[in-house]
Amino acid sequence: MQDQEGVLAWVSERLAVAMRQAEDLILRDYIVSAASQINAGGGSNGDNPTNLGISDFSLVATTLDTNNAYKFMSGIEGMDRFGTGPVRSAYFMLSSTELQTDFDGLVGSGFKSQWDYPTNTSALPSEYGSVFNIRVLTSSEAPVARGASKNGNDVYYNTVVGKQAITHINQDGYSMNLIYRDPYYSGMLAQNATLAVKFAQAQAITQDTAIRNLLSTRLSSGVGP
Amino acid sequence: MAEYSKIAKGHFTSTGFAKAINLPFQPDYVEFINYTVANSAVASQNIARGFWDVSMGQGFAVIEGYNATPALIFDTVTTNGISSFSAGISLQYGAVVQHGGSPVSDFSISKASPAVVTTVGNHGLQTGDVIVFQNLAETSTTGMNQIAGIPFMITRTAATTFTINWDTSGSNYTAFNTATSTGNIGSYKKVLFPNIYFPGEIVVSAVTTGTTTTISTASQHNYVVGQEVGFRIPGVWGTTQLNELPNNTIPGSPIYGYVISVTDAQNFVVNINSTGFTAFNVNQPFVSAVGLTFPQVIAAGDVNTGGVQISSGSPLYPSPQFSFATLNDSSTINGPAIQGAFVNNTRQGFIIGAGAGTVLTTGSLVGAAGNVIYWRAFLSDLAVN
Repeated sequence: MQDQEGVLAWVSERLAVAMRQAEDLILRDYIVSAASQINAGGGSNGDNPTNLGISDFSLVATTLDTNNAYKFMSGIEGMDRFGTGPVRSAYFMLSSTELQTDFDGLVGSGFKSQWDYPTNTSALPSEYGSVFNIRVLTSSEAPVARGASKNGNDVYYNTVVGKQAITHINQDGYSMNLIYRDPYYSGMLAQNATLAVKFAQAQAITQDTAIRNLLSTRLSSGVGP
Repeated sequence: MAEYSKIAKGHFTSTGFAKAINLPFQPDYVEFINYTVANSAVASQNIARGFWDVSMGQGFAVIEGYNATPALIFDTVTTNGISSFSAGISLQYGAVVQHGGSPVSDFSISKASPAVVTTVGNHGLQTGDVIVFQNLAETSTTGMNQIAGIPFMITRTAATTFTINWDTSGSNYTAFNTATSTGNIGSYKKVLFPNIYFPGEIVVSAVTTGTTTTISTASQHNYVVGQEVGFRIPGVWGTTQLNELPNNTIPGSPIYGYVISVTDAQNFVVNINSTGFTAFNVNQPFVSAVGLTFPQVIAAGDVNTGGVQISSGSPLYPSPQFSFATLNDSSTINGPAIQGAFVNNTRQGFIIGAGAGTVLTTGSLVGAAGNVIYWRAFLSDLAVN
């Protein structure tokens, strides 16, 4: 791969990102299909599942604690800074960005915005905040089943994971390859190069008691894709 | 250049309903020939060939079939023709079936075990299809909202009736009918590609306790003998002793069971001695439907990974041979799927619908049940439009 070749370098970079995103999406879809579910019931919208209530976070964190799941992050000690407070050691939860307004509505009930951490050094760029033993990451790629609830509303898969819950298994000694074949090897007329990725991995839930999909709908309306 | 174009071919026997073909790409051109029609006596409305290009639009097709004369003519299909698909989380449902719709204008669910769904109009479903109900409130305090949101495999009994594997005869269920319910907003919709989510987490519809435990499921369980499974039974459903955790005997160690026999697509037996366990309670109150977590069984491995010694004479012997499933369509384009492990979640390909032509108005694109269809699909890397 030649850095001097601008187009090639740019395309390689984009493809590498796409490769990692594809890996994430495959694992995401696998978790959606195979992990146990808890329907949120602590919300107030009367659906099944309901919107997220504080008690739902408590329930799922307690479930993982009871199942001896390992937490991802150690806690953040409190500091003498206005408006901040300590953060518990925590599991990760991946949620949709469409739920951010709902999280904002829980500030004051137990949801702590990432901005209110004593220090942000351990916060991930996608981290929106924390509740009890859960640190919430948001992404536009988080799974949503459109119109799937009891009342026909969108169902959000908020995946809460312990450290030992998931992995991927390499096959043939590698997990993925970024491949470049120059034009001479890519076609009879040597006009096009080939840049590709290939995967040789299987996703696996290694400890199914350490992962839960907390299913919820949304309280706020008018926010969406 | 066209050196990266993709071509695939194959054949299938029609069921008379739309057929989805999984491919490692989304084709932009599809053609097929109905061998059975070509090899039969000429008959009006028989469609012998079909063609589709993505530029025609999704659900269209050009067909060649026999008119009333009968003579071979060209015609077009404008709905339920050929289309490509790429399945994802947001594309999993078909059209909503509800009051005033077409071809089903209403449906009702009986208080029975199994519950019987009766439609006004041909439902077009076949055994093995998976549907999800929503808004099943007959009044504000009665109905069947307890089962709204559960994926159900249907068993077709007639063109206007099918059953779902759930006992709705309990006192907390009230017969539901879209025509008489408040607001007429009850509905169901088909899960278009349920095999994307197999084996997945499956909703348990009944538990029969005993020296071994028989499990019934709302949709296809997709398990084979030797499958290791875990349970998540919330307290209101009764049989919590099946749950993976907490394990009171060996704290911290999940309780798993092994499938020792498979009765059919929705029933299997595990080696857990559940004698004395609390009875399973499917008769949930109507008001509990808000925030109700369903009882689930999940795949957790198999005897090859569970550390169980297998020898001749064991009910788990021989170890499972994971191959193309016969209980449902879980095979993948990439080869045999391993139940309990990852089934390819990125489905794409094309669908040959059961639409009719504008002239051949009673013909069916996908042919009649038993017709053998040979198809070819293309994805061109160069399109000159």
